Parts: sequence; C-alpha cells; structure tokens
Amino acid sequence: MTSEATTAAAVIGERPGAETASAAVVRPHIHAVGIAVEFPVRRSHRRVRVLSNINLSVPKGGFVSLIGPSGCGKSTLLQVLAGLITPSEGEVQVAGMHPVQASARRLIGLVFQDATLLPWKNALDNVSFLLDVADKSRPRREVRDRAREMLRLVGLEHAAELRPAQLSGGMRQRVAIARALALDPEVLMMDEPFGALDAITREEMTAFLLEIWERTGKTIVLVTHSIDEAVFLSREVHVMATNPARIIETMAVPLGYPRNEDTYAEPAFAHAELRLRRLLKEGHRTGHRQGKPGRADGAGKAER
Amino acid sequence: MSGQAATDEAGNAAGVSEGPGRSLSAGLASAAADNWPTLALLAAVLVAWEALIRLLQVSAFVVPAPSAVFRTLAAKQTQLLDAAWITGGEVLLGFFFSAITGIAVALVIARFDRFGRALYPLVVLFQTVPKVALAPIFILWFGYDLAPKIMLIVVIAFFPVALDMLAGLQSIDPSLVALMRSVGAGRTEILRRVQIPHSLPHLMSGLKIAITFSVIGAVVGEFAGASAGLGYMIQFASTQLDTPLVFAALLEVSVLGVVFFYVVELAERRFVSWVPRYERGHR
Repeated sequence: MTSEATTAAAVIGERPGAETASAAVVRPHIHAVGIAVEFPVRRSHRRVRVLSNINLSVPKGGFVSLIGPSGCGKSTLLQVLAGLITPSEGEVQVAGMHPVQASARRLIGLVFQDATLLPWKNALDNVSFLLDVADKSRPRREVRDRAREMLRLVGLEHAAELRPAQLSGGMRQRVAIARALALDPEVLMMDEPFGALDAITREEMTAFLLEIWERTGKTIVLVTHSIDEAVFLSREVHVMATNPARIIETMAVPLGYPRNEDTYAEPAFAHAELRLRRLLKEGHRTGHRQGKPGRADGAGKAER
Repeated sequence: MSGQAATDEAGNAAGVSEGPGRSLSAGLASAAADNWPTLALLAAVLVAWEALIRLLQVSAFVVPAPSAVFRTLAAKQTQLLDAAWITGGEVLLGFFFSAITGIAVALVIARFDRFGRALYPLVVLFQTVPKVALAPIFILWFGYDLAPKIMLIVVIAFFPVALDMLAGLQSIDPSLVALMRSVGAGRTEILRRVQIPHSLPHLMSGLKIAITFSVIGAVVGEFAGASAGLGYMIQFASTQLDTPLVFAALLEVSVLGVVFFYVVELAERRFVSWVPRYERGHR
C-alpha cells in the first residue's frame, strides 16, 4: 500500500499542473463562499431555497466530485459555479474572476447528462461548433484542425463524418467531451455525464475520463450520484444532503494516481466507498428529521 | 428534454434502417408492395360503385358512374388541364406566401418574448374565425383577380406553418441553450445557429398541412368569385347539372393536392435528411 502510494505520488509529480496543485492551496482555482440559491415559487410570493451556505474550493488541476441524492441541488451548484445561475447570496470565483467572465473567456467547458449534440451536424462539426461560436476571430481552418485533434484525443477520429444518430450513447458523450475540450478550458464541469449510459460503457467512460484528466491536467468538477465513480475518479468528494440542500462533508479520497481497474480492489477504495455510503445515508436521515441548515462551512474549512 | 428523447428514438430508428441492401429502388418497390391493399380497396370501391349505378339505373346527373367520369375526363381534357393550371398557380403562390407569413410569425414570437406573448393569443383568435366566410369580403376588397384567392389561402394556411415552426423553435434542449450562452452567444445567434435548424423538421410537417389547406383555399376562393379554375368549373358545372364534369374536376383537384403534397414531402427528405427515417436507407 505504502509503496503503491509513493509510486502514484511520483507519477502525479510528473504531471504538468501537479506542481501548481500545491501552490493552489493558497489560491484555489474555483472558490465559492456562502452560496445560497432561491427560486420563486410559481403563483405565490414565496421563494424556495434550493441551496444554502455552500462553501467550496477546488485547487488547480484538482478532480472534485459533488455527490448526493436527487434533488440535493448538486446540479444547481454546478450551474452556479459555471455562471449559468446567479446565486441569491454568496460569491463564486473561477480562475480569479466572475464565472460568467471566465466562461466568456472559454475557461469553462460544460458537459451534460445528455450529449446535447446538434443532430444535423456530423461529429467533427459538433466538436468545432462551440469553439466557432465562442471565438469568431479564429480562422475556420484552425477551428477544424483543433476539432480534429480533439476527436483524436477522445478516440473518435474514424467517426468524424458520422451524425449523432449514427453514434452510440458512449460515443456521443465522447463527442460532447471533445466539444468542451476544444475550447481548451481550464475547468471542465460535468453534470452526470455518464448517467444515461449502461453500466459497462459507463465504466469504460470513467476510465477514459481519468485518462483525459491525467493527460490534460484540467480542473474537473463532476456531479454524480454514483459512489463508485466518485471514489474512483476524485481526489476529493463533497457529500451533499437535502432539506435543505447543503454540503455535509468533504472527504479526501486516500488513493494515489494513476488509478486503474486494480484500484477497485484496493482496501482503501472499499473503505472510502463505505465511508461515503454511510455519509450519504446519514445525510438522508438528518435531512428528513431536522429541517434546518447543517454546518456546511465546516466542510469548506476542512480543505484549507 | 422531450426533444432529446425524440432524437434518441430517431437514433433507434436509424439503427433499424441500417440493414444491408436497402437501396432507393428497393424502397420504392416495397412502397408499392406496402400500398397494394390501398390500390385493391380503391379498385373494389370503383367496381362496386359502377355496378350499383348500373343496377339501380341512377341518372348520371345525380351520381355518375366512374366510367362516365373518366369519359368526361377524356373528352374535356384541355378544358380541365387549363383550369388545373390556373388553380395550381393559385395554390403555389398562396402556399409560398403562407409559408413566408407562418415562418415570420413563428420567428417573431420566438425571438421577442414580450411581443410574442402579446401576439400569440391574437394569432389563435384569428385562427378561430371561419376563414371561408372571409372569401366574399376579400372579393369585395381585392376584386375578382388572383389577389383575393392568395389572401384567402394565406389566412387559411399560414397557421399550421406558424404553429409547427414555433413548436420546433421552442422545443430546444435547455442544456444546449445554456451551452451557447456560456460561450457568450446572444439570443439572435442561438436562434440562427441552433433553434432554426432544429425547427426545420417541424416546419416541414407544418408545410405539408399548409399545402393541403392551400388547395382548399384556392377552391373556396374560386367558389366565391372567379372566371376560371377548377373551383369555378365545379360550381359552373353543378349549375348546369353536369355532374360527371363536377366529379372530373374534383378528381383533378385531388390529384393536384396529392402531387403537391408529395413534392413537399420530397423536399422534406432532401432538406432535413438528418432526421433518420425508418424506410430510408442508411446514408
């Protein structure tokens, strides 16, 4: 175990961006303080609170998962981090700026549960599409070359001419990831990207995502409801609970990188899974019993 | 979300059509094979009709036998074709302006929220007005020429175009809009690059309804006041108790409608080829 951990650490050290990871403890790449989100209730003057007092920070090059039951606001939190939802309270910074600004500078890449590809465009055009919209000054050819490169990265160069309807679910999701990566973002924000895939494809895609992360050194925030996925991929897992939606715990995953299918068999993996399972169960219980906000700020402090 | 579900289903459909050796000619042959019950049924009805008329000795000016209708069709060929030419022209022009109007209304409603919310109920209200009753008013306003017929067709046929296109524009996946917004795209750019292409299959089904409505509009327009065309011919022949000619003209109207309908459907297959079809070959 110890020898494995040290070799893993050695490999991490070789990754570009890993040396910045330690420096980023001082200045996190994604930083959210006191986030609360309220939505107006239809046909009434009441507002429903979907997130309260969220503190979160992600170091540069980190891999962080948000896990929790449906309706715990994890997707909402991701949208707040991406600048798609303006929080009612609190502040978010991505790469030291407002997320909308960061997004406009193509620092944030988004991947959703559905691949959301354009059915009338082939895989290559789907990959180049967003970059084309984002950066109009860039020459068409350069955009296409970049798209081709990204398709190669996700292993789909042979499928460039195929339309989404002709691709499998896993391939479509690879195209969506390539499209996000084409922007060359610093942060990849993924909302249950493998949620619609079958178990086998899902595991394949999980390994694929880990490989992409290790090769590119992007900061990744992953929303998931799979315990397996969260432990296997992340350096840190934020556990969320409902009623009210909050982060109840931040758990560091005691496993080094690189990880592979052997990782699933490690005692540390099983241990981390068990801990996560208990946390989720506990969060579920307390959430139902007491309807008041938990101490989510403790989780935020634990990271620093 | 429903849009996504639809594409998923479409994906499955494409999977079905991926079978080997589904060429176009094979598709046509299978289409004929699929339609033989319709053809057989039609033949049976015609035979029964002919037999009943002969057995009961029904006078031709009450109900003509199919044979009488076909005889008239042959005898008055040039007259009927001239009339069909005129009505066909009205239909095409009217359909063209219906499409333009319908598309414009849908785009305005989709692009400008506030104005769209104000406009939409008025469009629906207008749709509930019995358009046939407007025909005499259009004659009063625009005379006996082409203009009143075109106007009538437009008020009848723009609605399905507007409604279907609007449904297409609005059924876009919210995640896709979020994605576009995240890279700084504005409303117009989202409309142009995502919503309009996405709405094209919907637009095409609206156009298919509009083309059949256009035929009805042209005939009604000619009923209200005209000096030529198939509608005029039907009305004129019925005052002369020339029922076989009425039926012959009716047949021509139907054929016209069917031909136009399949032209639109052909255009649909050509221009929105990304919507996978069950019967079409894969790529």
